[in-house]
Amino acid sequence: MEYETKSGRAGPGNPTSPRQSVRKNLDFEPLSTTALILEDRPANLPAKPAEEAQKHRQQYEEMVAQAKKRELKEAQKRRKQLEDRCKLEESIGTAAQTWNQEILPHWSTVCTSRRVRDLWWQGIPPSVRGKVWSLAVGNELNITHELYSICLARAKEKWNTTAAPTTETETEDAGSSDRESSLELIKLDISRTFPQLCIFQKGGPYHDVLHSILGAYTCYRPDVGYVQGMSFIAAVLILNLDTADAFIAFANLLNKPCQMAFFRVDHSLMLTYFAAFEVFFEENLPKLFAHFKKNNLTPDIYLIDWIFTLYSKSLPLDLACRVWDVFCRDGEEFLFRTGLGLLRLYQDVLTCMDFIHMAQFLTRLPDLIPAEQLFQHIAAVHMTSRNRKWAQVLQALTEQKRSGARQPGAESLS
Amino acid sequence: MEAIWLYQFRLIVIGDSTVGKSCLIRRFTEGRFAQVSDPTVGVDFFSRLVEIEPGKRIKLQIWDTAGQERFRSITRAYYRNSVGGLLLFDITNRRSFQNVHDWLEEARSHVQPHSIVFLLVGHKCDLEAQRQVTRQEAEKLAGAYGMRYVETSARDAINVEHAFTELTRDIFALVRSGDITIQEGWEGVKSGFVPNVVHSSEEVTKSDRRCLC
Repeated sequence: MEYETKSGRAGPGNPTSPRQSVRKNLDFEPLSTTALILEDRPANLPAKPAEEAQKHRQQYEEMVAQAKKRELKEAQKRRKQLEDRCKLEESIGTAAQTWNQEILPHWSTVCTSRRVRDLWWQGIPPSVRGKVWSLAVGNELNITHELYSICLARAKEKWNTTAAPTTETETEDAGSSDRESSLELIKLDISRTFPQLCIFQKGGPYHDVLHSILGAYTCYRPDVGYVQGMSFIAAVLILNLDTADAFIAFANLLNKPCQMAFFRVDHSLMLTYFAAFEVFFEENLPKLFAHFKKNNLTPDIYLIDWIFTLYSKSLPLDLACRVWDVFCRDGEEFLFRTGLGLLRLYQDVLTCMDFIHMAQFLTRLPDLIPAEQLFQHIAAVHMTSRNRKWAQVLQALTEQKRSGARQPGAESLS
Repeated sequence: MEAIWLYQFRLIVIGDSTVGKSCLIRRFTEGRFAQVSDPTVGVDFFSRLVEIEPGKRIKLQIWDTAGQERFRSITRAYYRNSVGGLLLFDITNRRSFQNVHDWLEEARSHVQPHSIVFLLVGHKCDLEAQRQVTRQEAEKLAGAYGMRYVETSARDAINVEHAFTELTRDIFALVRSGDITIQEGWEGVKSGFVPNVVHSSEEVTKSDRRCLC
């Protein structure tokens, strides 16, 4: 008995209704009651008995009152949302100022201070994000803008020499080198990078930039080459940094031990990382850990995608950037901590699922992930196990693997 | 609510990068053609019920693997627990056809002591004008390996149901004949519940040629 009237209200719905004019005088007009009209019976029918008319009037008033209440509540909610949004904008503004004026000019002295670390955890304002990432990632490799230009020029040379023959005479090169095919793969993958953003696709504003960075990297590190997943990392950097600086950050980021292990697909080392992850998984979420074990759900199933793309493919982009913020601050450990935070956040849902549903859930996380809640869960993850920190656990597992008798089955992931 | 199924088969989908593995699976499981899809890193998971005979449902658990060669050391670990596989190549990309042999070798050497029932799939058959692999040679290759050959198109929804259903039927026949048995610690085939009642509302057969995009 309620009528949705959002559309009917503005139009010439029922211009003759006497109630309409009455309502116009109200301060607050509940939208959903405009179509609730209490009418007497048409004149050609006998009038309602007084009792019934009274009852209807009462029902009518209750309905209007309820609708008003609901509308009022919603209006309050909207106002709150708007306030929150303004507050958020304001806080981003002040944070940006703090970062620009107080932190960045004195980076090396303040970057480890308690205050900066706290601010950092709350998320870096987008306007300074690139700068902070660059500083935090550093440039251990001493890559200059010139070196980037040289690598890019070399990549372009290669594209030109390989692009010509592939169209016509691509015949007897079945055993094509990984390197050559990776140049091709880059082209195909660029347009598959954040397809919903429509900026990396052919003709899009960042298509060539992404192509350049990935191409230059294959010339800078031919031993690593292009590996799927890289395009997402480069894309996130491009969104926050100028091309050459994005390249420098990209190369240095990939040079970190964890990223090197994954992008070179050093299987044995990857397994060590997964094993370390499981140590903290069991420690933090024993019930869920047991449930995973029971269902043979191994960490490679979800961690590979998360770690390879640094969550940029699996989390909404703004949330992924916040993970990157702290990843730049805390290093690889934070990637695994984020993974545990996600498992913690969705613990209850996951415990009710079987293997395939969990696998599907974890490889395709919900579109809407509450950022604050996720970060609360990440914060609640303890990254110590029997007084050992992440690095120590990893170290111990690596040594164990190196010295310990390698079982023949240890290579298998499942 | 989980529908009732007789068996669960784990299938793995392999083939070169960009031959359209994810698109084919998504057409099959979601009934639509994904215009934009990102590259698979590691594995993705899908599932769907298939009715092979009235009242007999098989639950398919489909593992969609990354195609890039570099990822093979990861994906090879997933062969062992698969009972069936779709080996895809792109009919407009000759190299992807030439690599079929490598994929098969790779799978065969890592599936021991089990074996995988493979189906060779020539994908993107809607792009007839750009065809680089003839149907005859693909059929010949499939025959040499003792596999069936099907040409599919995720875009135009051609043979997608057919491909998955045929493979499922073949595996089902082998399970029924005892050539494939359910084993403890092996995920390839799992037994479900025998359905007493057929819920017609849960029919899973979708029209093959409908394009929802």
